Amino acid sequence: MYYEYLTVGIILFILGILGIVLNRSNLIIMLMSIELMLLAISVLFLINSMAIDNLMGQVFTIMILTVAAAESAIGLAILVAYYRIRGTIAIRSLNLLRG
Amino acid sequence: MYVLVLFVPLLSAIVSGLFGRKIGTRGSGILTSSCIVISTIISGCIFYETTINSSITYIKLWRWFDSELLTTYFGLQFDSLTATMLIVITGVSALVHIYSTGYMAGDPHIPRFMSYLSLFTFLMIVLVTSDNFVQLFIGWEGVGLCSYLLINFWLTRIKANKAAIKAMLVNRVGDLGLVLAMLMILKQFGALEFSTLYSIAPSGVEVICLLLFLGAVGKSAQLGLHTWLPDAMEGPTPVSALIHAATMVTAGVFLIIRSGPLFENSPLALTVVTIVGALTAFFAATVGVVQNDLKKVIAYSTCSQLGYMIMICGVSNYSTSLFHLMNHAFFKALLFLSAGSVIHAVSDEQDMRKMGGLIKSIPLTYTMILIGSLSLMGFPYLTGFYSKDLILELMYDKYYIAFAYWLGSFSALLTAFYSIRLIYLTFVTNTNSKKEALFAVHESKGNITFTLLLLAFGSIFVGYLAKEITISNIIPPVISNSTKGIPLLFSMFGAISAFIIYSMSSAGFFYFWSSSRAGPNHPLYGSPIHGVYTFLNSAWQFNYIINHYIVSNIFKFGHLITYRIIDRGLLEVIGPRGVSRILINITQNVSNLQSGLVFNYVLIMLVFTTLFISGLYL
Repeated sequence: MYYEYLTVGIILFILGILGIVLNRSNLIIMLMSIELMLLAISVLFLINSMAIDNLMGQVFTIMILTVAAAESAIGLAILVAYYRIRGTIAIRSLNLLRG
Repeated sequence: MYVLVLFVPLLSAIVSGLFGRKIGTRGSGILTSSCIVISTIISGCIFYETTINSSITYIKLWRWFDSELLTTYFGLQFDSLTATMLIVITGVSALVHIYSTGYMAGDPHIPRFMSYLSLFTFLMIVLVTSDNFVQLFIGWEGVGLCSYLLINFWLTRIKANKAAIKAMLVNRVGDLGLVLAMLMILKQFGALEFSTLYSIAPSGVEVICLLLFLGAVGKSAQLGLHTWLPDAMEGPTPVSALIHAATMVTAGVFLIIRSGPLFENSPLALTVVTIVGALTAFFAATVGVVQNDLKKVIAYSTCSQLGYMIMICGVSNYSTSLFHLMNHAFFKALLFLSAGSVIHAVSDEQDMRKMGGLIKSIPLTYTMILIGSLSLMGFPYLTGFYSKDLILELMYDKYYIAFAYWLGSFSALLTAFYSIRLIYLTFVTNTNSKKEALFAVHESKGNITFTLLLLAFGSIFVGYLAKEITISNIIPPVISNSTKGIPLLFSMFGAISAFIIYSMSSAGFFYFWSSSRAGPNHPLYGSPIHGVYTFLNSAWQFNYIINHYIVSNIFKFGHLITYRIIDRGLLEVIGPRGVSRILINITQNVSNLQSGLVFNYVLIMLVFTTLFISGLYL
């Protein structure tokens, strides 16, 4: 059972990554993908915590959830501020800083 | 006293050069002339002590180069060679100084001129009095520099500038030979002093001698590097007298005489010296025959006489060479200064075709030129006779190089021819000059005629007076009377034929030779004789060949290859421009990675994180 759970976690994480990389339209989807990645990592922590019978993983999961909540709050706030200025949240329009 | 002979001309050069404004035109003339006269008197005393009383003097002044391998003193050496050269240099230079005060009157830069003349004399004295090659080289380069300054004295004339640059550069080719010879001497023998060098009986010096001879070729205007000498006529006439009679061109001969002990060990170098000298004598004599410029005739005659001096060095008769050098200094200075007097008289006209008939108006100058020319031709009992005939006899004595003897004898014929031609065209024939120029002809001032008179005495008596001192060690060869008479007969034949040809041509015979008819209308235009005339008149086309095959190719090489292909091309592309272009391209590509698109950043971050985790550290 352990490996199936592990696989699910990793697949979730990879889906989150692909959501960021392949997504070219919407900033909200990007934020959601980040949330998905954080969730996948939380799941992996939990699974490993159960597997090796150690509470540290669950502690970290709670920490990550906190950080994820704070991060999405700040991210959404930035997004709103950005939308106020630019009137759009398309990622393509986010290319002012070019090398 | 021995140091004073150097110091006095230096003093006069410095004072006249730096304070010329203070002491004025007259002041600088009087100062420099009297300084050189003092120097002449001193060198007379030196001659008495070192040559007549045969006490060679060495003076070590101070250490100059002081390293482990090379210790060179700044030292002076006064032996009979130096003393003779000193007499010649300072004597002729003093007369040229006095002459210049008259000849250059009215020129705005007389203090500068006198300063250069004195500096020239000083450096020449440094050259002849040095006891080692390095110090000799100071004088050697110094007289080259002064010849540049003097030829280009009228610095607003472009021709004078070109001639001066040419003189400097052509001399520099020879100087390179001298420098290389010095380096080889140092490498081979470890000493540059003459006394050390000649006391160790050097051997294996072929290359050294040939390089030394290259130096002499440049300075003494031998065949190949002679082209600067006729062009050096762009300077004022006293300068030509100084350069061509007593000082600069004799430096090359002096070098060979001084290095005689080295040359004695190198038969190859001696043969080369003889052949080049003989060829130069012949070449310059043929060219002198058809020159139309009064000064160029005398210049080529100098070149020819230097050929004699070099030639006789090649058969190891150095004292004869020195004797001819001394005699030549007197009659050539006389010829040049008289030519200056003529040019002065006919309102600065130098072309002999536009002179003529001056014998009535300036008889004194005529007499002077006649004395000088007869002496140059080797007329019996004049100065030139004693050395020139001896040279030809000694050449005849060396049977293995008979070729040089016949070239020399034929040059004697041509010498007589062009000397008489010069006199005839300038003084005897009907005049070709303008009426106002002819009416204005006058004898020059006292200080000009005075120097001419002194030099004329020298041209008559020096050979007789000095022959016991200078060439007492020469055993005259035993030859038959008919052979002994050959040079004289040749000279007389040349002189008489010149006189006959030119008097007949002015009377109407050989009318095609009368030079006033030159041009396409001339009856001989395009014929072989005209070709020969052009060939000789342009000095065997040496300038043409050198300019077209060497100089212009080097210029082209310098511009096309070294400048445009290597400097601005290859090095520029490999160096600054190429490197900057490559760097800019790379940085452009690298910075293009930052596209401004967030998902690209994420992709890159992921790729590199993956690489990092998988242990593929870049």
